Amino acid sequence: MIDFIPGISGTAAALNAERIRMEVVSQNIANASTTRGPNGLPYQRQQVVFETVLQQRLSGSGSAGVSPQSVKVARVLPDTRPARTTFIPGHPDADANGMVKMPNVNIHEEMADLITSSRTYEANLAVIKNARQMALQTLAISKH
Amino acid sequence: MIEALFAQTNYVASKKLLDATVLRHEAIAANIANAETPNYKRVDLAPTFAAELSRAIADKSVSQVANLRPQLAVDGSATAANRDGNTVQLESELLRMQQNTMAHALEVQFISGSLSKLRSAITGRLT
Repeated sequence: MIDFIPGISGTAAALNAERIRMEVVSQNIANASTTRGPNGLPYQRQQVVFETVLQQRLSGSGSAGVSPQSVKVARVLPDTRPARTTFIPGHPDADANGMVKMPNVNIHEEMADLITSSRTYEANLAVIKNARQMALQTLAISKH
Repeated sequence: MIEALFAQTNYVASKKLLDATVLRHEAIAANIANAETPNYKRVDLAPTFAAELSRAIADKSVSQVANLRPQLAVDGSATAANRDGNTVQLESELLRMQQNTMAHALEVQFISGSLSKLRSAITGRLT
């Protein structure tokens, strides 16, 4: 398949990675006060780890220089920060002193992550838009 | 014989520039894709390309221009803005992308212009 639109595969991978990140953020926000998960423990914040992927290039177009790199979500890791404890006596998950272990999710942090993620997503969409425009212009050479 | 029509230095050089622009777009696409990857170092067109191209054009050597190979290189001058070691800055990357797209439009226009001049020389008609 001829690569009509330059750099499209790396951008597609980036859109995918950012979407996974947004899903993880939404999962964190949804579980911001889940005090008991399937394992009986409070929910632990999850975070994504991005990693570069070397892209395969066609032997003809590739020269000795550096190859452009793609991106992927390598792992989704739990955040190891300790759980917050809040005083809620009478809560079914409260200990003898009335303290409840709450998830280590900070809503403000998650919102900042969400905005960064969606801005990066938009930037990648802009890349596709420009690449498409360039490809169409190239195809229109000598049409007029 | 017909090759001579397409062997003007300017025409060959603008074709090379078009290749370089597309390669640069790939570099910018990779940079924006990795805008959030820790320790990623931004890549760009190797700075030697522009120097070699202008030298080849100054020498008016078509073969020298045709043999140029635009390459990507890690941008050593970029510094990381924060502690994750990533040297990509989204805003300047987007700005470079717009400049690059404009440059591409200009080069396409130049190539189209060369071809249409050639056509009107052959047919004797102004299209």
